[in-house]
Amino acid sequence: MLLLDSFINIFLKAAFFENMVLAYFLGMCSFLAVSKSVKTAFGLGLAVIFVLGFTMPINWLITTYLLSDTGIFGMDLTFLRFILFIAVIASMVQLVEMVIEKFSPSLYNSLGIFLPLITVNCAILGGSLFMVAREYNFSESVAFGLGGGFGWFLAILALAAIREKIRYSAIPAPLRGLGMAFIITGLMGVAFMSLMGIDPSALAGAK
Amino acid sequence: MGLLQFLHKIEPDKKKSPFLHTLFDGFFTFAYAPNTVTKSGTHIKDGMDLKRTMFMVVIALQLAYLFGTYNIGHQHFSALGMHESFLSGFHLKITYGLMKLLPLFIVSNVVGLGIEFIYAAKKGHPIEEGYLVSGALIPLIMPPDLPLWILALSIIFAVIVGKEAFGGTGMNIMNIALLSRVFIFFAYPTYISGDEVWVSGIIKEGTEYMGASYGMIHGVFDWVFSSFGWSTFGEGGMAVADGYTGATPLGLAAKGGWEAVTEVYSPAQMWWGAIPGSIGEMPKLFILAGALLLIITKIASWRIMLSMVLGAAVGGMLINAWGANPFMEVHWLYHFYMGSFFFAMAFMATDPVTAARTEIGKWIYGFLIGIVGMVIRVLNPAYPEGWMLAILFMNVFAPLIDYYVLEANVARRLARVKAKPDTAMEAEPQLSVSEH
Repeated sequence: MLLLDSFINIFLKAAFFENMVLAYFLGMCSFLAVSKSVKTAFGLGLAVIFVLGFTMPINWLITTYLLSDTGIFGMDLTFLRFILFIAVIASMVQLVEMVIEKFSPSLYNSLGIFLPLITVNCAILGGSLFMVAREYNFSESVAFGLGGGFGWFLAILALAAIREKIRYSAIPAPLRGLGMAFIITGLMGVAFMSLMGIDPSALAGAK
Repeated sequence: MGLLQFLHKIEPDKKKSPFLHTLFDGFFTFAYAPNTVTKSGTHIKDGMDLKRTMFMVVIALQLAYLFGTYNIGHQHFSALGMHESFLSGFHLKITYGLMKLLPLFIVSNVVGLGIEFIYAAKKGHPIEEGYLVSGALIPLIMPPDLPLWILALSIIFAVIVGKEAFGGTGMNIMNIALLSRVFIFFAYPTYISGDEVWVSGIIKEGTEYMGASYGMIHGVFDWVFSSFGWSTFGEGGMAVADGYTGATPLGLAAKGGWEAVTEVYSPAQMWWGAIPGSIGEMPKLFILAGALLLIITKIASWRIMLSMVLGAAVGGMLINAWGANPFMEVHWLYHFYMGSFFFAMAFMATDPVTAARTEIGKWIYGFLIGIVGMVIRVLNPAYPEGWMLAILFMNVFAPLIDYYVLEANVARRLARVKAKPDTAMEAEPQLSVSEH
């Protein structure tokens, strides 16, 4: 029960209360570039959930059992953290890319360069580094990965739907396209501040 | 010569003086419904054009305006322990309220309509008067003592970034009135939250509250009132009544649950609205009357209102079932007595531009506002009230809700065609064209 509680708490916190894009502004490049239509945003969002959800626990295992001085090498190898994290993320993205190319060539084509670029999506590396900094345990890191991915997915879907809706609006010419995407992202950040500050663990503790 | 001929005679030339023509056009369409068809922007295929639709909302707000104005004065004097029964000192309370409300109203409309006017003249289209409603709503959702420059700044932000950047009236994603309030809320939080701001004319020195001294204009009114032999404002600077805290019901509930609220305010008092708070949010019955007018004229969607009530009730019940602290144990029905739920429901959530536009989408939209608003109000210790932020939060997701409702509709109709390929194809020939 306690495990499930903390799992749900961290999931909700990563997805809504401290959204990766709208609270930390991580993963902005693909967030702004691939949000022109809901269909491609959906595909990319799913890919990000998948990659975050898998790299996070793998990276947790690496940090705990390979890099820490209590790990199998018995010495502090944290200087290797970045390169190993990126290697794990890159191979996971490669896997996703092959799967998408096989099963949905149209999505593969519409995502284009942004699919391999998930590798350098800062939300994913950032997620792994947050996990280390906040000293999550294994199940918490799974929750954080899935939650962070889900928050990113929700944010890019909402942005894509808004951008599809305003496609025919009389937007001033200099703002069309990316300019509007920036403004909308800022306004979405304001809206997401509504949930910021809720601390589910504090509420459960009050009982 | 009738008014119409006169107006046509003085119409300035559009090419030579675009600014004058925009101004003329704005007032002309106010007096007469034009018989020309709109070529761009949002429009309604009805005698109820945009201007008259907007104006209906302003009419629906009038009771809240009357009560709000009076209540500013009433709260001020009851905090000082003078004229405590609701109707005593009527002339003082209404004068005091007007002196607070009129500047807010004038600044709100001058700034907002001024920006609209400049944009209309620059872009060469008629004034879109989307600001009529925002301009009427914004003073009602502000605390009475808000400095006017902050109000002006927030309106400049909301109208330019929230509306004109998106292409003007009818194309904004987020509610303009709420955007201006949320701007103040995050940029100047001390002016719009806490216990000190909701009762007008009370200042805090150290830990002691006392009445602010009155100014020149009060002196002029005192001279008038004393010549009638009525009671006057006096010098000001009086001590407050014993036990005065200035806290709103929600502020009290957050600290000590429903018991703490009822120690200070009775449920009837909260229902009728003689409590401190934002200017127009209190008189529940008057707001519901306005909501009824909007439903009858079909300007606001009853689906959103009903589903929002349902969402808040369900959210309240869930929080009751959790019940981890006194605030969470406040019965879900009592939540409707406190705060600005009805105002947000009637005038903010139903904004037809920023709400979901599909019928199923409206149910989802309203319901989620209810849930999210309740979660913010009770579970988020940072914010005392949730509806402003909940509505902005769902404004962000309204286009997404609409998108999936439409997709589901397309899929359902395609499935119907596949089931009966021969007949259905002829009946609905455009099925492959997506609807959005």
